[in-house]
Amino acid sequence: MPRLLSTKTVPYLLLAPSLIVLLSLVLYPMGFALINSFRFWNLQTSPTPVSFVGFDNYKMVFTTTPFLAALKNTVVLSVLATCAQFCLGMGIALLLYTNLRGMSVVRALLIMPVSVAPIVVGFLFRYLFAPEGGLLIWLLKGVGFPVPPQGMLGNANTALLSIGMADTWEWTPFFAIVLYAALLNSPQEIIDAARSDGANKLSMLWYIFLPMVKPIAAFLIMIRFMQLFNSFDLVYVLTGGGPGTASRTLSFNLYQEGLVNYNIGLTAAMTWIIVIIVAVIINIYTMVVFRGQEW
Amino acid sequence: MNKKHAFTRRDFLRMTGAVGGALAVGAIPALEVGAAPPPRRSAQATETVNVLTVGDPWDLALQTVTEQFTEETGIEVKIESLGYVALQARLVNAFLTKTADADVVAVDQMWISQYADNGWIRSLDDYIKADSDTEIDDFLPEVLYSLSTWRGSMWTLPIAAYAQGIMYRTDLFEEAGLDPLPASTADAEDWTWEQYFDMVADLNGMEMGGEEFFGTVVIGAQPVPIVHMFTQLSARYGTRWFENFPEAPWDFTPTINSPENVAALTDWKKLYEMAPPESINYLWFDAGTRFSQGDIGMFFHWTPYFYLVNNEGYLSGKPSPVVDKFKTAVLPTLAADGPQVVSLGGWSLGMPSTSANQDAAWQFIKWATGADGQKAMGLADTKGYQFADFGRKSLYEDASLRKIYPFLDTQMEMMVLGDGKVVRPPMPIYTSLEAVYGLQINEAMSGAATPEAALETTDMLFNNILTGNQMIPYNIESYDDTLENTVALIEELSA
Repeated sequence: MPRLLSTKTVPYLLLAPSLIVLLSLVLYPMGFALINSFRFWNLQTSPTPVSFVGFDNYKMVFTTTPFLAALKNTVVLSVLATCAQFCLGMGIALLLYTNLRGMSVVRALLIMPVSVAPIVVGFLFRYLFAPEGGLLIWLLKGVGFPVPPQGMLGNANTALLSIGMADTWEWTPFFAIVLYAALLNSPQEIIDAARSDGANKLSMLWYIFLPMVKPIAAFLIMIRFMQLFNSFDLVYVLTGGGPGTASRTLSFNLYQEGLVNYNIGLTAAMTWIIVIIVAVIINIYTMVVFRGQEW
Repeated sequence: MNKKHAFTRRDFLRMTGAVGGALAVGAIPALEVGAAPPPRRSAQATETVNVLTVGDPWDLALQTVTEQFTEETGIEVKIESLGYVALQARLVNAFLTKTADADVVAVDQMWISQYADNGWIRSLDDYIKADSDTEIDDFLPEVLYSLSTWRGSMWTLPIAAYAQGIMYRTDLFEEAGLDPLPASTADAEDWTWEQYFDMVADLNGMEMGGEEFFGTVVIGAQPVPIVHMFTQLSARYGTRWFENFPEAPWDFTPTINSPENVAALTDWKKLYEMAPPESINYLWFDAGTRFSQGDIGMFFHWTPYFYLVNNEGYLSGKPSPVVDKFKTAVLPTLAADGPQVVSLGGWSLGMPSTSANQDAAWQFIKWATGADGQKAMGLADTKGYQFADFGRKSLYEDASLRKIYPFLDTQMEMMVLGDGKVVRPPMPIYTSLEAVYGLQINEAMSGAATPEAALETTDMLFNNILTGNQMIPYNIESYDDTLENTVALIEELSA
């Protein structure tokens, strides 16, 4: 074998295409954003970077944009919606697992919301939340929920909740389907053994089903959390981040600064702050969830 | 845990890297940028003009009549309509990458400074001078001043000019025993905002024909829509955004947190209390549609709504229940016989520096903004008559247009009192300021902040943004951007 294709070099040669793609698509843009984050570059005033401004853009993220309000909303939305979707999804998965009549139809229908584009979901929920005649408003009033006079989308206390509801409608089936698949892959003998030992339903859930789906669930939760952390479409269509900053998310903030105000330097700085925040949260999550395990 | 289910460090790194990359990519312009090429005016042989416009009512009318232009000139026209934000994003991308994406583009008045200063669009001065049939002096100077001029040049020509005015329900006024509102400033010497508020209060909660009415409706969605409506009110209270602009020397020290503006915002909240609660989220057409659906007593809005409210829904073509039950009126002043400032906005057509068909593009701009093209748009019956946003004086005298649009006299009076450089000053980073301003007005409206606190925050944010964007202190040469200088420019170009 020629020296170039020795057993030592072949792995590197095979890895090279992936590494090149990774470097060009991930590291280069991030590096470019890092450089821009230290430049004054606003397309409203100049098509090219004007000057080096040190950490001014990072300071401006906090002094000229509602970054902290957006961060709070993003975290609240991500945590609560992920929890709701996991709990509801697990419930549906267990129902599917019982093999009740009609579950095959339910399984087929479940995939539908996931396949709808978020922007379409947004428009759908705009109609459902219409203060006059919206179906959800009618249902909420029916169960005694105090719908504010401005409507669910126009009130600071309910705007974020409404976005969470729309997202939950769309993504709960995804949890249900994947968790159902995880349940199907679980060893039947363990389940049978627990049942023959007299485990009640709560014990079955806590000691059998949840541990069996944990690896998949942990991954699902992380993926959905990160997706929710980047929430934009629903926010844009449903509330535009309002009223005030009540439902503004970090991605909406990025959009506003990058594609409306065209402040490239500021947007790059905000991007880096968000990347760091996401990395910290995910690291903490993985440390807690996968503690004591090899990962 | 079973090893095959293990989540590996490599998986984790791959995932976090991808997320970080996705976030970063979203914030980065993809290509190198540079200065726009020098202007050139070479005749190109192609016979197609690509036009990028915004999905406003005028765009519908324009699309209906472009065949006439093709018949007259042999030049084909391809029009692509986009949403407001999408249009700006598309244009900026095309300009940055020096792509000849379009030969003619619709330009919002707030984008002129950005496009002109960056060399993204061509000055039209030479074209106008060369072609006397542009009839530049037929345009209302206030419209050219507000929509098309920047630093002493004409960068675009107006295709749709909007002032603001009042629409009110005549049947409800009669029921309430209120006098009709003045359709002309000549009859409006004692027509004040105080009276306006009193009338709204009188109408609020009234019942007629089994329906309960709101006194008014507001545009409350943040950040942009709310600014369009609120600034009309606040300008009349004497609010100015900066220490000195548009007159030279430019000093962008904010003056937004003034007692006048606090009074305006306090009154804005009062208006909202007499409007549908959900109007805190209303866009422009939501407010118009609400009026046309029949439970609003009176409101003020951009003048295109003088004809749009004839539709039950936005551009639906179905007659609204208020057809023949409403009239238009001039805006009130702060004090009887007091001065008036009207918000003047709209769209104009410009020519990108990168256009490959500059002569054909100019022919189209001249036709579409010319008296014949504009009249054809006004007479086009597309789901009803949907265009009366004329910037030319001659069209306000046209008998056939006056028959279709009976409010033209009122509209022209508002145009003549218009000042698009004071009410919403189109300085280079206007959109950044508008974003925080709209947010704070909305906060005050929702009760999350008092008017005083909201404007204090606005002032602080204005200061931070303007300083961070190197506008305070302003070290670039100023231009004495006055109506008088625009009039002088018109004379020079039409000589």
